[in-house]
Amino acid sequence: MNKKLILFLAAFSVGNSVFASSHREAPLIANDPLADNTDLYAFRSPDNPNTVTIIANYIPTEFKEGGPNYASFGENIRYEIHIDNDASVSGDEITYRFTFNKVNEDPTTFFNIRLGQQNLKTSYTMEKSTDGGLTFTTIVSNGIVPPPNIGDRSIENPTVGLGTTYDQLISNAIATASTGETVFCGPADDPFFVDLGGIFDLGDAPRQNNNNKVHDGLAKFNTHSIAIQVPIEDLQKDGLAVSSASDILDGDFVIGVWASSSRQTTRTLNGNGTESYSGSWVQVSRLGMPLTNEAVIPIGQKDYWNSLTPYQEISETTLDENFYNPELALYMDDDAFGGAVPAMAGLRIQKNSLGGFDFTNNADGLFALKGTAAVAGTALDDAIFGTLLLPGAGKPRSVDLWPIFHTGVPNLAPYHLATGKPVGNPLANGKPFINNFLPNGGDMLRLNMAVPPTPRTDPAFSSLGLVQAAVLGLTDPTYNSSATLQFIPNMDGFPNGRRLEDDVTRIEMQAVGGVVLAAIGLWYDDYNTTTSPTPVTNMLVNVLNYSTGVEENDIAFKTSFPYVQNPWVGKQ
Amino acid sequence: MLLIPVTSLFASSHREAPLIANDPLADNTDLYAFRSPDDPNTITIIANYVPLQIPQAGPNYYSFGQGIRYEIHVDNDASVSGDEITYRFTFNRTNQDGTTFFNIRLGQQNLKTTYTMEKSTDGGVTFTTILSNGVVPPPNIGDRSIDTPGIGLGTPYETLFTNAISTASTGEEVFCGPVDDPFFVDLGGIFDLGDSPRQSGTPKDGLSHLNVHSIAIKVPIEDLQKDGNPVSMAANILDGNYVIGVWASASRQTTQVIDANGAGFTNSGPWVQVSRLGMPLTNEAVIPIGQKDFWNSITPYQEIAETTLDENFYNPELGLYMDDALFGPAVPAFAPLRIQRNSLAQIFGGFDFGNTNDGLWPLKGTPAVAGTALDDAIFGTLLLPAAGKPRSVDLWPIFHTGVPNLAPYQLATGKTGGNPLTNGKPFINNFLPNGGDMLRLNMAVPVTPRNDPNFSSLGLVQAAVLGLTDPTYNSSASLQFIPNMDGFPNGRRLEDDVTRIELQAVSGIVLAAIGLWYDDYDTAGSPVTPDLLSVYGYSTGIVSNDTLFRAGFPYVQVPWRGDDNRLGSEISYTQPNILPASNLGVAEYGKEYFGVKAFPNPMVNQTTIEFELKEASQVNVQLYTLKGELVYETGMKNFSSSGTQSVKIDGERLPNGLIMAKISVNNSAGKNVRLIKLIKQ
Repeated sequence: MNKKLILFLAAFSVGNSVFASSHREAPLIANDPLADNTDLYAFRSPDNPNTVTIIANYIPTEFKEGGPNYASFGENIRYEIHIDNDASVSGDEITYRFTFNKVNEDPTTFFNIRLGQQNLKTSYTMEKSTDGGLTFTTIVSNGIVPPPNIGDRSIENPTVGLGTTYDQLISNAIATASTGETVFCGPADDPFFVDLGGIFDLGDAPRQNNNNKVHDGLAKFNTHSIAIQVPIEDLQKDGLAVSSASDILDGDFVIGVWASSSRQTTRTLNGNGTESYSGSWVQVSRLGMPLTNEAVIPIGQKDYWNSLTPYQEISETTLDENFYNPELALYMDDDAFGGAVPAMAGLRIQKNSLGGFDFTNNADGLFALKGTAAVAGTALDDAIFGTLLLPGAGKPRSVDLWPIFHTGVPNLAPYHLATGKPVGNPLANGKPFINNFLPNGGDMLRLNMAVPPTPRTDPAFSSLGLVQAAVLGLTDPTYNSSATLQFIPNMDGFPNGRRLEDDVTRIEMQAVGGVVLAAIGLWYDDYNTTTSPTPVTNMLVNVLNYSTGVEENDIAFKTSFPYVQNPWVGKQ
Repeated sequence: MLLIPVTSLFASSHREAPLIANDPLADNTDLYAFRSPDDPNTITIIANYVPLQIPQAGPNYYSFGQGIRYEIHVDNDASVSGDEITYRFTFNRTNQDGTTFFNIRLGQQNLKTTYTMEKSTDGGVTFTTILSNGVVPPPNIGDRSIDTPGIGLGTPYETLFTNAISTASTGEEVFCGPVDDPFFVDLGGIFDLGDSPRQSGTPKDGLSHLNVHSIAIKVPIEDLQKDGNPVSMAANILDGNYVIGVWASASRQTTQVIDANGAGFTNSGPWVQVSRLGMPLTNEAVIPIGQKDFWNSITPYQEIAETTLDENFYNPELGLYMDDALFGPAVPAFAPLRIQRNSLAQIFGGFDFGNTNDGLWPLKGTPAVAGTALDDAIFGTLLLPAAGKPRSVDLWPIFHTGVPNLAPYQLATGKTGGNPLTNGKPFINNFLPNGGDMLRLNMAVPVTPRNDPNFSSLGLVQAAVLGLTDPTYNSSASLQFIPNMDGFPNGRRLEDDVTRIELQAVSGIVLAAIGLWYDDYDTAGSPVTPDLLSVYGYSTGIVSNDTLFRAGFPYVQVPWRGDDNRLGSEISYTQPNILPASNLGVAEYGKEYFGVKAFPNPMVNQTTIEFELKEASQVNVQLYTLKGELVYETGMKNFSSSGTQSVKIDGERLPNGLIMAKISVNNSAGKNVRLIKLIKQ
């Protein structure tokens, strides 16, 4: 197994990510909204825990009153959800493909809905491949996409409109595939939340000197969701139910999920208001981890990033540097541009952790330990994962940001909580808290399906996801009194998969700020192993306190599938 | 002369056809043409593209597209087919710093856009470059990216905006860049089956706080007039030799191939028009969905030979919703708008302009129309092509030929015997029968000053009302300048409420203006009947733009700023204080802490440190360099009350770089200390 992994991983590119999901994130796709993949979620269904729900969103910042031709899925586009569950097999184990078709029921009107008839009425075909995308079988035909939520006259009025309720239209659109998946494709409230206007004004999040006001720039915008709910045994590589998991971090229950959209290479304008497509299919947008292509990949490489699959990233090397030495880290380092981004003043990367490790850009991080006895038997031991995690000097974030975004994180030292580790030795075994290791490609959302869901009504539920689980595991007496594996609330949160509620912007900013390093015992510079009463120092508190101020969606999620909320009403 | 009747209606042209809705960069949203109010010897033409831009749309803010030909077309001579002048704009984008995901950083800008402007005077056969490397201002991201020196561009947006105004080698003033979308409409209401004004709830300008990209040009009138004459040579204010037709378009090459590595496109093949615009709202609310993409693909000149679109104008869909015999009752918001079904019953036995009725067709070939524009001997079958096409006499010419200064197209003022076919008071002449849908402007009509109390967003409708009812204008049939004769549909001013005007037009208000009064007119009474007042009073409730226009070129307003507090949904959030590092030995951090902030920070010459006090306290502020050197001290100061207090720091002599500010507070709760970082630039 280890040798095989080394072969697999030797040529891996290193990736790490950062901040405001993936709306209009690259120059080319920003001009092709229908194919623009904006967000991806994968989580154990809170009300149906033997299943996993995957939601892929497309079409950014849909304007709710965008008539007369409201936004909808595009024809001539292949929308796909990809699932990898076995690192020993290259490529997808399961691929779901969605294609859409639009018809006009009454081409004599400029209104979208009139007298019970709908124009640009959209239906879909869902196909499934279990041979890496070579062959597909249709599992839903003529699936219903609900109409745009135009207003009461178009939707509810029985004479002039459709004469139904929007809730009814949504529930009627939930289908069951012939292979058992529950499916929904349609417009939805955009579940993402971020202060777009602040953060892209050179990182002004939370906004400074703005009378303590921040703004959810995606409030009241719609998007289009493709949501599927799949029994865990249909996703697990050996067909096992979650009840068969050996423990809540069983490595056989890890899946990697990514989404994409593809178009045919050649578009021809026919000159009469119609267009034709021909040629092979080319990927034009993709998404795994949130914000990778929005705030890690620089503009010169964004279009290229969209064109690759995660599997191609294994042999791709030009993107690596963005993750070893991320641009955002420049703004969290007083010796770089830290002074120029006051909003991020609370985020300061370890420069002198445990009296010697420097994780700021171009420093060596843990590379000094390469090949030493200290790393023997840990994930950093060349004998175990090769040069994957310590590929060279001057790549400080190869040990934290990179595996989070490119392989997942194994349940192995140093990737245990500091709880249970001797003071000052992050390389010792500690309390397990994550295992979503699936080294079979680059950027994916990796979820260990064996981790139980945290009920959304649990007082311990937190949008800080795994960061909050780490905090509880380090500080809460219920969890920090032993190094044994326990379920800690929010272990099912980002970056172990991604729940709709997870504040990924905040978590990723904290991660760039070094919070994962701290969780495993690489404490901040103001911790002194002999004199400090606690490793929860002011610098760690500052990082944990960091927030953009936009911490939740502008409307509550549904408690059951598809979880995303109805689209905003055009006339609202 | 074969012309295709077409008439139009309502909410300009944003995302108006299925295909172009998916190609925002090439989507032509609005077109304006008006005599420049501050420079009346010129005409300003503004063509807008790229709809519904949210100002906060980082990291790749909206811009003009590459591989697209944006064009403004001008026709000034009906005796020559095709454009007399064509302006073409093409754009190029470069990254100044490909290593960042920010659009602007350290004074460098990505997706920085420049343009080339070309001009053709031979119908688009050959083009000459008249402006190279024109500057497109950057997106108005926020104060850090734009105003802050060092990290941003260090320039106010107003300066970036005005610096981008250029002069072409042939004398035109030009601006290409992002602006506030000047259009205003209740999109959400009107497209919910015509619920405008909303029957419950308040109207909402669906385009407020959104940006668009403008191509604006200001051209001397003599450069647009077909014989090169300045406006001073016009025979009168309706001189027919001063009419221009303006339309805009966007074209792409037929074939687009995605590069093998997926990271770009290669375009090839002939250029094909993918979007066009002349009159507002034609393709948004007149052309039905089945024909919208086709409409975008043809030119106004091709409409001369095209016949499938006609019916939408003879019998407009919106006409259905203003007729109680059809779907009128289903659209309560349009209840004030009712088309003449029995006009002039007492004199002519009644004309019916309801859909599929005959309108003025019964007069075809009769002595009554002899010598008028409806006489076959004058314009052929143009205006009375057949029975069952009632709107061939009003909506159609407004949108497809312009309207000649000839009976019946004169105000009822001065007409005799209650007969609309007699001569009356002239009020419009923008007749240019050289193609279909264009914005037609008579450049000889004087400008109504924007600060004139008579200035009205009702445009020519308001001019007609004054000409019919105001003693200054209704006492004679002679030609006079009536305020707003320079308004839509004689060209289009930024202020014109074209949605309202077009809905009123569909409801027959132009017919009424020329004496085809509403059904409730009794020859014994005033023609200004309750039905007419009802149509005139109709409004969607959104009657003006959400920001003022500029008094000078390009008249459209600077774009909304991405960090504007009016965008998105506001959330109160107080950032926690940044704690000092635990073991630096400078401060103990008490539970009873107080909030501190400094602004501006980074500072140049001065900053203010603000803090919250729980009670009267003594406060000392000391500034240290990172070496621990004390460089500034206020001394212990007394603050006699609680709440927000501040001290000003004169930073002129402080060293540049990072400075620690130590704020010590003494009060009855004891001593408390806070540290914050200041940057001196």
